[in-house]
Amino acid sequence: MRKLMLPALLAGLALASPSWAQSARTGGGEGDLAVFKKACSGCHKWHGGGGGGYGGDALSLRKTELDKEQIAEVVRCGRPGTGMPYHLRGAYDTVKCYDSLKADMGSNMPPETAVFLRPAEIDAVATYVATRLKGKGDPTFEECTTFFGATSRACDVYRKKEGTDAPTH
Amino acid sequence: MTTARNPRRIRAATSLAALTAGALAAGTLSMAPAFAADGGVTQERLLNADKEEGNWIQHHKNFAGHRYSTLTQINKDNVKNLKVAWTMALGGIESGGIWSHGGLEGTPIVENGMMYVTDGWGSVYKIDTRGGEGKLVWKMDPKTDREWAGAVACCGVNNRGVALWGDLVVSHTLDGRLIATNKETGQVAWQRQVADPDKGETITGAPLIVKGMAISGVGGAEYGIRGWIAATDLKTEKEVWRTHTIPGKGEPGSETWKGPNNAAVSGGGSTWVTGTYDPDTDTIVWGVGNPGPDWDNAYRPGDNLYTDSTLALDATTGKIKWHFQHTPNDPYDYDSVSENLLVDAGGRKLAIEADRNGHAYAVDRTNGQFVWATPFVKKVTWTKGINPDTGKPFEYDPNKDVQRYNPAATPSAENKNADFCPGNMGGKNWPPTAYNPNLQYWYIPVIESCNRVTHEAMTQANLKPREFFTGGGPSQPFRITGSVTAIDVKTGKVAGKHETQFPLLGGMLATPDLVFTGEPGGGVMALDAKSLDKLWEFRTGSGVNAPPMTFTVDGKQYVAILVGLGGAWDKWFIDSTPELKNIQTGSMLYVFAL
Repeated sequence: MRKLMLPALLAGLALASPSWAQSARTGGGEGDLAVFKKACSGCHKWHGGGGGGYGGDALSLRKTELDKEQIAEVVRCGRPGTGMPYHLRGAYDTVKCYDSLKADMGSNMPPETAVFLRPAEIDAVATYVATRLKGKGDPTFEECTTFFGATSRACDVYRKKEGTDAPTH
Repeated sequence: MTTARNPRRIRAATSLAALTAGALAAGTLSMAPAFAADGGVTQERLLNADKEEGNWIQHHKNFAGHRYSTLTQINKDNVKNLKVAWTMALGGIESGGIWSHGGLEGTPIVENGMMYVTDGWGSVYKIDTRGGEGKLVWKMDPKTDREWAGAVACCGVNNRGVALWGDLVVSHTLDGRLIATNKETGQVAWQRQVADPDKGETITGAPLIVKGMAISGVGGAEYGIRGWIAATDLKTEKEVWRTHTIPGKGEPGSETWKGPNNAAVSGGGSTWVTGTYDPDTDTIVWGVGNPGPDWDNAYRPGDNLYTDSTLALDATTGKIKWHFQHTPNDPYDYDSVSENLLVDAGGRKLAIEADRNGHAYAVDRTNGQFVWATPFVKKVTWTKGINPDTGKPFEYDPNKDVQRYNPAATPSAENKNADFCPGNMGGKNWPPTAYNPNLQYWYIPVIESCNRVTHEAMTQANLKPREFFTGGGPSQPFRITGSVTAIDVKTGKVAGKHETQFPLLGGMLATPDLVFTGEPGGGVMALDAKSLDKLWEFRTGSGVNAPPMTFTVDGKQYVAILVGLGGAWDKWFIDSTPELKNIQTGSMLYVFAL
């Protein structure tokens, strides 16, 4: 059974969430940027575009077709067979993920995150991805400054592109 | 040097100097005459750096890049007694951009007992090493824009150290600045933006100072940059020349960029490792990195000059004198950024380079003519070898626009997942080699590796500012190890190999009868210069990612090394060395003595 299920997961078809998720506090409004910053932006980048590259292979969250609950499940459980880690303490151990425990996963076991997230944080970051990133086109200057504030030059390139500022050099 | 020193008084004076500028700093000079009596670093002193036996005043020790010290207090008979003399915790491990922490890759510079080191974010630390301990004199924090720079640093939060000139300490920052700091006060004298992170440009290398000019190289070939080497006059603070490593339209070499993509504008050719200088011919010899996109060579038909090449530049004008290309139309990410050591052997003036493609090369440094090449890694699969008549890989076909070399080992549209050896980190990456001129042995810190690259066809639409432009990405299905490999430069053959559990990510130091290196599992070791037998090892308990150096102070010889695993390895390559996942983030200076 499980052998049949994993390829389906790899194709991005997430399964129904386990029942405990319904009891997690629902993140309000547009979700939590702070959680995204600490847990996601290292690979998916600030804009969620991912983009593969030198060694990473993070998918674009802007192009995701998952809904919020499915996103939350991938954050909790990771993405089997890929580098996307699981973020829930006890996943595949005290809590089943995709109906599986660690022993069932073999070489498809996703890596463990560097920062575990509490259920409320997972919910809040899934909300962030679903409402602030999913379906968005190219990153904008406004999105960038929302992420970084005004203390970094990281957004200058978007301002230049949008032609809203005189040349800086 | 006076012996009637009062360490407490000096400490008080220097900590004041760190807090204040101007008048108080001048007071410091009179209190500690030994600090300032040397009158600063000049071209004359840089030319004769080897004669300052106890100092290490240039990144690669001398203009020729030898990293060879003539000090012999520590030798093969007593090195077993080497012990930690003192340590110092540094900073710079903060996160930024796509990086969870910084690391240490720098070479300490020592002048008259004063040491200058950098951390990954470019802070400079001046440390008084007298009296058998280290005392921080000042720290210059350039307040690097971590998000701006860290988001476009392909391979870690790195800085490889400072250079000295006059009364200035000259350094770079990841966000592209050249900074001149007053040596006594630690105050920034001036700075200029040399590289532009908005274009994906960053700087990690130490400056090379030639005739009062700071020579800067750039990183960013994974982000669609057009590489360059630039010279800044340290007196006028102005740029003297900037030579692009990818020719402009109509310039010689531009014919090696073909096809419909206008590929030269994003052709890569980074220059992120400090080069060398031949005063006899006033020539700077500098290595050039991979073409972009890294793994889709069909995007950029042609040989793609001057990527993967050694460039010789007129130091006064920056004009290209000659070039030698190692991997034309590179589909592997086989940079040739490595330092070229200038050595004389067999009656020839050579430039020798240990290339990421797994071969050590010697060319005639007066004209760029190929002399010899030899594999220095245990396994090479991408080519049958280097043709001894031409210096090119046997499979290279000058009539073909897109090279396939060994097609089974080459990522392409027809071979989406290609395994090749050495892997894309190369047989040797930036960690510097060292050369013993008496033995004529050349020591290479080797990454014995294979890895897998998944090919992705690029179009011009993939080219976006500050975004990766690589044509695929590597993964690590194979275990990677390392070695110290010695080449006998008289013969061009491998003279010995000392294998290590982990790849060597730190670099080499040579002394008359020893070689020192460190490895990312934490060991700092000394090997016999001839047999490469291990004579001493100390486990730092952290990851070594920087080269050792040696100096004297108070008449006593010390070995110093920065310890703190950063760089590309623990983000992109760690799966090939699973034990290194246990190495914790850290930032330490270790100093050893008998």
